[in-house]
Amino acid sequence: MAHLALKNVSKSFGGLLAVDSLDLELPAGKILSLIGPNGAGKTTVFNMITGVYPPTRGKIIYDGKTLNRLKSSRIVARGIARTFQNIRLFKSMTVLENVEVGMHCRTKSGAVRALLRTPFTLREERAIENKALEILEFFSLRRYSNEYASNLPYGDQRRLEIARAMAAEPRLLLLDEPAAGMNPSETAELMQLILKLRDTGITILLVEHDMKLVMGISEIVSVLDHGQKIAEGLPAEIQKNEKVIEAYLGSGRKKKK
Amino acid sequence: MKKIAIVIMCVALIAGFHGMAAAKTLKIGTLSPLTGPYAQDGTDIKQGVLTAVKVFGKLPGFDKVEVLPGDSACDGGKATMAANKLINSGVQVVVGAYCSSATEPAQIPLMDAKIIMITPASTNERLTQKGYKYFFRMPPRDDVQAWSTVQFLEKKLKAKTLALIDDKQTYTAGLTANITKFAKKDNMIKIVAHEFITPGDSDFTAVLTKLKRLNPDAIYMGVYQPEGSKMIRQARKLDMKSTFISEDAVYHPKFLEVGGKAAEGVYLTFAKAPDSPERRAFEKTYKKMWNAKSIGSYAYYAYDAGMMTLAAIKKAGTADPDQLEKTIRENTWPGITGKIKFDSKGDRKLAHIIWVVKNNKFVPYWNPITGKDL
Amino acid sequence: MTSTGFILQQLVNALFLGSIYALIALGYTMVYGIIELINFAHGELFTAGAFIGLIVLSALQSVGWVDSHFILTMVIVFAMAMAYVAVLGVALEHVAYRPLRDASRLAAILSALGMSIFLSNGMMLSQGVSDRAYPSIFGAEGITVMGAKITNGQIFIILLAVALMVALQLFVHRTRLGKAMRATAQNRTMSRMLGINIDQTIRITFIIGPALGAAAGVMVGLYYGAVRFDMGFIFMIKAFAAAILGGIGSIPGAMIGGLIIGGVEVLWAAFLPSAWKDVTTFTLLILVLYFKPSGLWGQGDVEVRV
Repeated sequence: MAHLALKNVSKSFGGLLAVDSLDLELPAGKILSLIGPNGAGKTTVFNMITGVYPPTRGKIIYDGKTLNRLKSSRIVARGIARTFQNIRLFKSMTVLENVEVGMHCRTKSGAVRALLRTPFTLREERAIENKALEILEFFSLRRYSNEYASNLPYGDQRRLEIARAMAAEPRLLLLDEPAAGMNPSETAELMQLILKLRDTGITILLVEHDMKLVMGISEIVSVLDHGQKIAEGLPAEIQKNEKVIEAYLGSGRKKKK
Repeated sequence: MKKIAIVIMCVALIAGFHGMAAAKTLKIGTLSPLTGPYAQDGTDIKQGVLTAVKVFGKLPGFDKVEVLPGDSACDGGKATMAANKLINSGVQVVVGAYCSSATEPAQIPLMDAKIIMITPASTNERLTQKGYKYFFRMPPRDDVQAWSTVQFLEKKLKAKTLALIDDKQTYTAGLTANITKFAKKDNMIKIVAHEFITPGDSDFTAVLTKLKRLNPDAIYMGVYQPEGSKMIRQARKLDMKSTFISEDAVYHPKFLEVGGKAAEGVYLTFAKAPDSPERRAFEKTYKKMWNAKSIGSYAYYAYDAGMMTLAAIKKAGTADPDQLEKTIRENTWPGITGKIKFDSKGDRKLAHIIWVVKNNKFVPYWNPITGKDL
Repeated sequence: MTSTGFILQQLVNALFLGSIYALIALGYTMVYGIIELINFAHGELFTAGAFIGLIVLSALQSVGWVDSHFILTMVIVFAMAMAYVAVLGVALEHVAYRPLRDASRLAAILSALGMSIFLSNGMMLSQGVSDRAYPSIFGAEGITVMGAKITNGQIFIILLAVALMVALQLFVHRTRLGKAMRATAQNRTMSRMLGINIDQTIRITFIIGPALGAAAGVMVGLYYGAVRFDMGFIFMIKAFAAAILGGIGSIPGAMIGGLIIGGVEVLWAAFLPSAWKDVTTFTLLILVLYFKPSGLWGQGDVEVRV
């Protein structure tokens, strides 16, 4: 059974059809990359999956249940986490705190318990901290745990975003242009990291412009253009696909003709 | 149909107004702070006038007497607006206002409109020095009050040093200015400090600590009751040794209630209240009418202002301002605050005495005119 | 009185007043931090706390608890006032602010002003227009250090205010919900993506801010001896100035801002002509904002350091 499935999903904003009857299947434990020119509707797909807004038509099914009208916070609890194109760290919180906040939906202590400092709360808070440190270790960020997030080098901030998303213990991770702004060596490191995450059993949906990264790690590549899926297949197939080439270089080519 | 309905309504409205005019109504306005920090005193004034109207009963020549309360809020602008509103509602007499800084600007439209204005509370002497024909004042003036204070400090307390505190309002600043003037003239008391507070503030420890270090023989609190009550509590907590003396705006049951033990031993200037059956009858009626445990100082003056107005209209047989003014000025009226007789400026010959707080009560202490204990 | 004693006394006076301002300022800053709204009704919530404290304390005094169970009485008085006002705060958010969360800022501000007038008038009608005397719990007893007199009441109130502020700092930095609150203040969308229940976080803010204001209200009643329906106004202006001075949205900013405003007010009146006290306080505010428009601790952008 497919882990995540989009069935005939459309989204329109006023008169603009951002996503048009999209079908997408993401098998469990795989890395699927969603590519396409700017404005193709990739981020819209991410936003619909994570409940920023509901699809206009169609169904989003995760683990056999529809996600359509769920709030973002409920969707995270179901096991879907994401990162954003632009870095959205809590800049004036420490690296450790950023990860701890990421674990919010997996922990319980309410206001009353927090104020009363019950043994449960204290135990839970200690557990949260230990777990957060483990995650930072995995992402090689532990040495920064008490730094403000805004003080980290750019590449590390990107990694911290993924670490924070992983703190929610997702089974599906949505990465929106994780390599944006990274230098080649940082991108190479990121590739290794994503593969390492996949190896822990996590399904990954990736939106990325860096073709080297996409072709290097994807198991499936789907191509969107003007809200429609124009191609899907193995990286090698996609690279040779005429339609894809046209979509990317389209207008320029036509002019040359 | 709609048009006919509107016409009928208009006719009904006009008929209504006409009917009201035909039924002869005397309208007395009150001006006092009904909102803000001094709302207690303001409410006392309004209730005092209402009590007078109730007690006086039927006024010959009028079908009914109506009281229109205006909110002067201890603010010149608001008082002027409230005064204009009362003028537009057709009042013939206004009892008010409370703060001198509100009374002064409100005088202008009321005097222009030839409306008799009787203040039950404003004591700044300037108010009766402008030659306003229709203005009368029930309580004694601040220069009299300041003189009484200085007499007490010099002759009874034998104070050598004095510190002044005021809240920069017309009334309080007038008092401290007069005290300074009289003290300088006699040259027996040295004024060692003059400090200021802001009306509405709660914390006066900074100023009090400053005065504690100077340790003057006496400290004058030129403030209103809400600030005075809090100030004396803080002074006692600072273990200040100076004698505290204050004035008629602090002379209020609330000062005893909020001040509690801290208020003990504070001296205050307030007109002497003669004990009379009428006064006791008023107190009984007032407490019953307003379900009140204690009576604010200005309710007495407001009651007298109301009673005198009604008696004068009865005697004159009209509410015409010129005749009413003449009648008020030419006669001596009975009152629960003493006999009421106005001089040409509209002031009464009323003297203050010194009161002291003892066992949570205001007790007469010393008479500055005779120089004798009471 | 020695000079040292005088200075010490004035510092105690400043610390006391500053702590009260700080507690009230926290309510403004926390609400602003989380929903970018100035809760103009906060001054009324503070006053409501003072009245609840008065009612509960009078009741307990009439049965003699103040003398027999002093600590317990204080706990009950503060707890009841804080709990009641917290409920009021949550109701306020639900009724007046939540429906306008996506509306224009102006609509929310008008709603806040409306609630302020509504609550103020409600208290005027139910509690009367004049000063209500608080039972005298703390007398003039206290300790004298180098000529400076510190009363037991001042010690109690300063300690309690500090304890509440420390507890707040621990809450926002050490607990799961506190971190969620800071995260929401910094980036609401991202926080929602991380599974934080934004409504719940806002609700908690509207519990803590008003509860701290209520505690300040009871303190004012206990110490100054009287409460009145409109007493929130002057405190509101000063506390609001403190929150702005410290950088609105910043919790440490509100605390320091409160101490600065209280300090300037007291120390100016202590050493310089007292007539200029308020002018100075607000001139200082204007100067700080001129050189650092986001306040001393402010971040200058929508992100807020808590």
